[in-house]
Amino acid sequence: MPSDTAQIHQRPGTSETPTFWGRMTRWTPYRALVDVIYGSPRRQFLILAIFPLIWVLTQHLGPMMQMARVSLTSAYPVAPDTETFFTLEHYMKFFGDSIFWQPFFRTLAFAFVFTFCTLIITYPVAYFLARHVSRRNQMLMLLLLLIPFWVGEIVRTYAIMILLGNTGAVNLVLKTLGLIDRPIPFMYTSFSMGVGTVYLTALYMLLPLYSALEKLPKSYNEAGADLGAGAWTRFRRITLPLTLEGIGSGCTLVFLISTGFYATPVLLGGPSTTVFAETIAGFFHVAGDQWPTGAAFATIMFLAALALTAMFQRIIKAMRKGDAR
Amino acid sequence: MTRGNRIFMACIYWAFVLYVFVPLILMILMGFKDSKFIGFPIRSWTLDWYTGVFNDGAVVSAFGYSIAIAVLSTLVSILVGTWIAVLLEGRKFVGRAVIFGLAVMPALVPGIISAIAFRIYARGLGIEPGMGAIIWAHAVHNVPFVVLVVMARLSTLPKSQLEAARDLGADPMVVFLRITLPYLIPAIVGASIFCLLLSFDDFVRSFFLGGYDPTLPVLIFAKLRSGMSPEINAIATVALVVTAAIGIWAERFTRRMNKDSQS
Amino acid sequence: MTNLKLNRRRFIGTTVAAGGLLASPAYLRRSMAQGSGEVNIWTYNDFVPQAFKEQFESETGIKVNVRLVDDQGKQFNLLAAEQPNPTVDIMTVAGHRFLQFIESDLLAPMDTGRLNNWDKINPTFSESDWATINGEKWGAPILSGMEVLSYNTDYVTAEEAQTWDTLFSEKYKGQTAYIIQDMLSIVMLMKGYDGNFIEYADDHERAAEIMAEIQEFMIEKKPLVRKYYDGGAEFQQMMVNQDILLGHSWNGPAAALINDGFPLAMSIPQEGSYGFVYTFNIAKNAPNADNAYTFLDALLSSPEIGASMTKASGFISTYKGADKFLNELERKSTSFPEEQLANLQFFRAEENELKYGLMDPAVEAIKAA
Repeated sequence: MPSDTAQIHQRPGTSETPTFWGRMTRWTPYRALVDVIYGSPRRQFLILAIFPLIWVLTQHLGPMMQMARVSLTSAYPVAPDTETFFTLEHYMKFFGDSIFWQPFFRTLAFAFVFTFCTLIITYPVAYFLARHVSRRNQMLMLLLLLIPFWVGEIVRTYAIMILLGNTGAVNLVLKTLGLIDRPIPFMYTSFSMGVGTVYLTALYMLLPLYSALEKLPKSYNEAGADLGAGAWTRFRRITLPLTLEGIGSGCTLVFLISTGFYATPVLLGGPSTTVFAETIAGFFHVAGDQWPTGAAFATIMFLAALALTAMFQRIIKAMRKGDAR
Repeated sequence: MTRGNRIFMACIYWAFVLYVFVPLILMILMGFKDSKFIGFPIRSWTLDWYTGVFNDGAVVSAFGYSIAIAVLSTLVSILVGTWIAVLLEGRKFVGRAVIFGLAVMPALVPGIISAIAFRIYARGLGIEPGMGAIIWAHAVHNVPFVVLVVMARLSTLPKSQLEAARDLGADPMVVFLRITLPYLIPAIVGASIFCLLLSFDDFVRSFFLGGYDPTLPVLIFAKLRSGMSPEINAIATVALVVTAAIGIWAERFTRRMNKDSQS
Repeated sequence: MTNLKLNRRRFIGTTVAAGGLLASPAYLRRSMAQGSGEVNIWTYNDFVPQAFKEQFESETGIKVNVRLVDDQGKQFNLLAAEQPNPTVDIMTVAGHRFLQFIESDLLAPMDTGRLNNWDKINPTFSESDWATINGEKWGAPILSGMEVLSYNTDYVTAEEAQTWDTLFSEKYKGQTAYIIQDMLSIVMLMKGYDGNFIEYADDHERAAEIMAEIQEFMIEKKPLVRKYYDGGAEFQQMMVNQDILLGHSWNGPAAALINDGFPLAMSIPQEGSYGFVYTFNIAKNAPNADNAYTFLDALLSSPEIGASMTKASGFISTYKGADKFLNELERKSTSFPEEQLANLQFFRAEENELKYGLMDPAVEAIKAA
């Protein structure tokens, strides 16, 4: 980086062949543009903010407002010759009937547990990659892990059925080794669901963790060791706090993704693992004509996930501040 | 770090590799099974499913279609997501939390809901279902992932570098292009991988916003209705090999370009 | 696209170009075909035989665009979202779902006078009581399905498969599976009630009482079931993996397993069961309605076409004489003994509002229990 910074601004006269950057910074229209954009901090901020603002309002909020509107109307799609009116009944349906609470809280609980499992499983993997593998091989070994994620969710999920089924690979191996007489029913339990979910989410945890660990200077740990700290203490006092940011973004990603999972729990779960996405989809698929209820439930799920994520971000922030002191 | 510790970590890594690859190997293996259904026992083997993939024009064009959608939607997501991240990170202003909430929102909406919301919204805007609509929906859905990843990286950008550049007389635009952006490259590459994967794998948005050309997941879903046949495994395996080849080629290509620009 | 300007990194540009090239044949064909007319169809994989499609296109010059779907609800949602100017001409609806589409004003009545080959359909299907609603015909029946008890013949006897009770017996604990919505109707039959709810049209209280009883029964039997499944592919996989030994299924997915040599058999148990029919329907405001009629008439022209649909899907053809074009195994997997067929009745749509109004909450309650 130091060489970069030195070349940033070619002072006139010091260089016979001006670089691209040098030429650009002297180009009049460019200068004019810079003056317009950076004229005042206020204008700079406005120009920076206007595009994201328009984008999030029209592209992110727009479709959701549409959904919210549907959740508050009496019927949708509207049949001919009928009047629709504003109503809260679809929301009341959720709060009024405890049968919907169970899949709702189950989904949040599953998402928590699976996020935690993914973290526990991938942290050592990311740590090994970032700290124990030579730079040259790191990229290669990371790419190796990414390959399976190019296979679609459904195909991978069916592969897990072939792995865990009664005549699946695991049972086949155990039987050949003489460890079991009759197959172990792994499938259609929260175990098979967990195996499938972690398989899908591992990547989204691995990458942020890896990038956090990779930029952690080795010297910090060595200094810790010189001061006589044990391996665990060094991890707890140095590595963990400095990778909190990576843990935070990895967990946020995985949590968000796993609350929305539909196909994996439906295909790998059992009779008692119904998740809320399944309940919501039911209003669109099976019944087909209960869009407003589905939309209302989706809104509830969405607000809950949003609140939890915001809470989580706040905790991580507080922890980082605590460490900084 | 002790030796034992290191060996232990290596074991965990390879156990993880095993976990990730065994289902993949099973999937590839099943593509050679001479039966209409996947599963053990495999009594006889065949190459017919694989030769079938290359002769099936629908599969080949669905594959190309999915790749094109993934690449184009990723470009949009990266541009927009990075822009939003730069706006949000390290700035305090009124409504920042609201913009952040809105920015990550598309990731929170269950697939089926967002697909239907997009479909209705697209009609309102007069966007015809088809390639453009799918790219739009994928791009919007993937922006949050870019925002989160880029913001995380941006928060660790050493302020000293920015100050040094400014002291040398660089204007803010140059500082952004020559310090901030290069520093963000790893995050942008990582986010691109996320986006490409999410788009390539997406079924429900592609289904609702697509026209009469199926993307690969839509085609696979439709085929699944007549049973999980080794044909689907063969399609997935071929798709995997081709995308991996393109990925490796792209990686080599960028590496060579970087070398060229450095020399 | 809009981003080509940005695209300074050459390799991405090349990738896009390569992707576009790979993807192009379909668009080229589309744009070439626009002059000579086209017909847009939403249907399941293999419902329109490839050989027939090619022959039809070369003979009429009408381009057939098939959009593959995988679920009735999604078709409904998609069509509702496209309303009032759909892109589709022909869609595939299960007979007992008609009413929902008709009430939402998504289908056009079928003018059977424009179909010369209408009488090539077995009247059991074309003239059935569910086929006429509001005095109009709404679709051309093409394939027929039914709810059956499927069992692995290596473990379960034909005797045991004579009754739905086996599905709820301790003997097969953890080795059964069913589609919960469909099973509710069947359990009503088991208990001697009307699963179509027509008997309770005037007595909603009685209907609710019965549904409560059925719900209690299903919850009581929940510890015995391995999986509530949704799709035929899941059922087939559970059978192949021996995760289950018997279960409720549709005849199509089970027939496909039988045709592949899997030791499976089907029965219509003595308590009875329900059948349904897939029909091709013309969408309201279909952009190419004339071509749609031409297509349907051609599709109905020969029992051989019906047979090839059966071969691909495992469902039973509605065409007169289609079974002559099936081989022995295929005929076996798509036929039932007379005495079993006598137990079969069709799903009816008249009281769907009452039925699903009670059933949907019951399904949620059973899943949540």
